[in-house]
Amino acid sequence: MDTAAELANGLDSKDPRVGLRAVSALRRLLEELEALQVTNARTHGWSWQDIAAELGVSRQAVHKKHAARRGLLRRDC
Amino acid sequence: MFERFTHPARESVVAAQAAARRLKSERVGTQHLLIGILEQPDSVAGRVLTGHGVTVPAVEREIAAALARAPFGLGDAEALGAIGINLDEVRRRIEAAFGPDALRRRSGKRGRRGVLSGHIPFTPRNKKVLELSLREALRLGHSYIGTEHILLGMMREGRGMAMLVLTRLGIDQDALRGKILDELREAG
Repeated sequence: MDTAAELANGLDSKDPRVGLRAVSALRRLLEELEALQVTNARTHGWSWQDIAAELGVSRQAVHKKHAARRGLLRRDC
Repeated sequence: MFERFTHPARESVVAAQAAARRLKSERVGTQHLLIGILEQPDSVAGRVLTGHGVTVPAVEREIAAALARAPFGLGDAEALGAIGINLDEVRRRIEAAFGPDALRRRSGKRGRRGVLSGHIPFTPRNKKVLELSLREALRLGHSYIGTEHILLGMMREGRGMAMLVLTRLGIDQDALRGKILDELREAG
């Protein structure tokens, strides 16, 4: 199993595979953190507008992305 | 390509989808395909794997262990480490604030929708394994693709979770490959 660490050991950091894997892993981490934090904000009674403002995106974007998750819709309905 | 698949080979692909769904995975990985093959006990590869003591519960146990070690997928911790992000430290802080298991893969709209609608896509690696199964069949001069070719393709690709699982179960790949070829010789 070739891990990025193994690759990084043998290759300089300009190796595209190391960099791209890091970006891909970072994206997964980002998505997970966003879901966690948005859920937490909703639990704390934050409006979609407030959450969107902190995230720097539109209210529609954040609502569309996260409202479908179970439990989050109730506050809106 | 699927038209060349034997009945058990097709069934193993269908069973792999079911295994991915059962294990709540967003993608059908090589580990699910391995389970799919094991669920065809009368197939060549199913027989060989069973003969080596590989069982579905054992495979599922190793998959769970692998995911517990790397919930973001194999290699993500290393990949993030390469750009200076310590995933273990991130997890430690998140769990300190939100409790155990707060940080694990469970988001992903596309994946969630996929799980609900029943269609779970194959990982690129698994597609590669199926391509290689065709190549293994051609190499052996076979006009069909059986479970044995899928397993050989999996070993040829060599880097999927299925291989990790088999290694952790103490399976020697060369012995497995040799046994498959023996079986084919006896049958042929």
